[in-house]
Amino acid sequence: MVNLMKRLRKLQTLLDTRLGTGAAVLPSIASASKEFPAVTRLHLTYAQRLEGGHQGARHFWRKCLPRLKYHNPGVPMTVQQTTDQQGPAALSIYFAEKASEAAKVVANQKKVQDSHAPAADTNEEAIVLNIKDFTYQQIWDRVQAITNAQQVSGTAEDKEQLKRWKDIQDKSGADRQRVNALRQAKKDQERMLAVARGEVDKTKQV
Amino acid sequence: MSSFGSVLPRTARGILSSCRVPLRGPSIAPVLSNFQQVRGLKSKPKGKGKEQPSKSRRGPQTFRQKDLKAMPQFTLCDAMRYIRAIEVGREPTVRKYELHIRLKTKRDGPVIRNMIRFPHAVQTESRICVICPPDSKHAKEALAAGAVLVGEQEVFDLVKAGKIEFDRCLAHPDSLPALNKAALGRVLGPRGLMPSAKTGTVVENVAERVEMLRGGTVYRERDAVIRLPIGQLGFSPEELRDNMRVTIDQIKKDASGLTDRVNKEIYEVVLSSTNGPGFSLNGEFRTDDSPETSALKGV
Repeated sequence: MVNLMKRLRKLQTLLDTRLGTGAAVLPSIASASKEFPAVTRLHLTYAQRLEGGHQGARHFWRKCLPRLKYHNPGVPMTVQQTTDQQGPAALSIYFAEKASEAAKVVANQKKVQDSHAPAADTNEEAIVLNIKDFTYQQIWDRVQAITNAQQVSGTAEDKEQLKRWKDIQDKSGADRQRVNALRQAKKDQERMLAVARGEVDKTKQV
Repeated sequence: MSSFGSVLPRTARGILSSCRVPLRGPSIAPVLSNFQQVRGLKSKPKGKGKEQPSKSRRGPQTFRQKDLKAMPQFTLCDAMRYIRAIEVGREPTVRKYELHIRLKTKRDGPVIRNMIRFPHAVQTESRICVICPPDSKHAKEALAAGAVLVGEQEVFDLVKAGKIEFDRCLAHPDSLPALNKAALGRVLGPRGLMPSAKTGTVVENVAERVEMLRGGTVYRERDAVIRLPIGQLGFSPEELRDNMRVTIDQIKKDASGLTDRVNKEIYEVVLSSTNGPGFSLNGEFRTDDSPETSALKGV
């Protein structure tokens, strides 16, 4: 089995799953208001390659959806990757009963059709957001605005841990430079000796 | 240096050597002999070193067990919540939950190797072909157990025509001569479908084997860990728990059934998924903070 320390290190990704862009609780049936109804489902469609403005959609899936799913385990989320680069990059949000006014305003800015999204039930209303050429942060800002999702900021302990990992990352950058310098110095030294012995062509660069 | 020294007059040499003494420390021996001595010294411990590590090279007799105190452990529902978040957007019937069971065991000796049938099937059911005399009792039993294709000559004809519409192939010993005569090895062999006693696909009790193969998963112990798929990502916590209970019970039974002198215990149970990290389980089903079990199934 994988080394315990490696497994522990890998589990640090859990903090990344809990906190960050997209870590928010969507309104459920219990917490819904009239202005912002509950969100019942999400569906994302985008094309396989990045050209044609599909990058943000893919990043939204990789970065935001896991966090959303963690904080809303009961909301089904599906992703469809197509091979049609000219096709839509669209995010469908399904509201219970009736879509929020904010959502309708945003969806009407540019209407798109998403043939891959599942049809809305009778007691649902779906709106389709055009997310072509948006960054994942822009997509998330819109989603948050139209659903009124409540951001999760994390406990003091989480923040402390985040800071610790940030420090380690910062230190690793400096360490990498230091070690690279050491290795280069050693290589230069060896090369100098080899040249002195006449083993290597002097004009050649390392 | 010494050749240079010989050119100088004797007195000068004396002065030189007296100068050299403080630099070289306590040794006053000439340079050349000093060099030879070092070489001799170096080669001596090498010879000794070869005999030394005979004891330590053997290594420990058992697999090393790390202390799990540092490892955070999760309840089943919490682990599933993380795994489902990390695997979000993937096809729930394709992605699998995996179970890794770490054993406390010796490095040598027998290993656990068996087949299991889960209460909730992990794979979609495989289509099974049984080669046995068509009118026999075995044929009826095999059909009842869920085999798709049963017979002798008709199966051979279909295979020769290139219609291989099954994933597993079993044979009864009675029809083995006919099978060999039909010379299907060339067609079935490369696909891994040719029945042979070595792979356990030529069996007396065909029906039981069909039953096993339909929902069965083969597992074996490698380096003190048993890894096996335990469920689809769409499974509910209850379904996964049922599968895990059956698995762990059977592995305990396997371990106790080996021989008297071999002692195997379950040391750690880890739940993982196709692309997810491994979560060490603490044996609990859920805590009060865990989400409802109804929320942890489907897509």
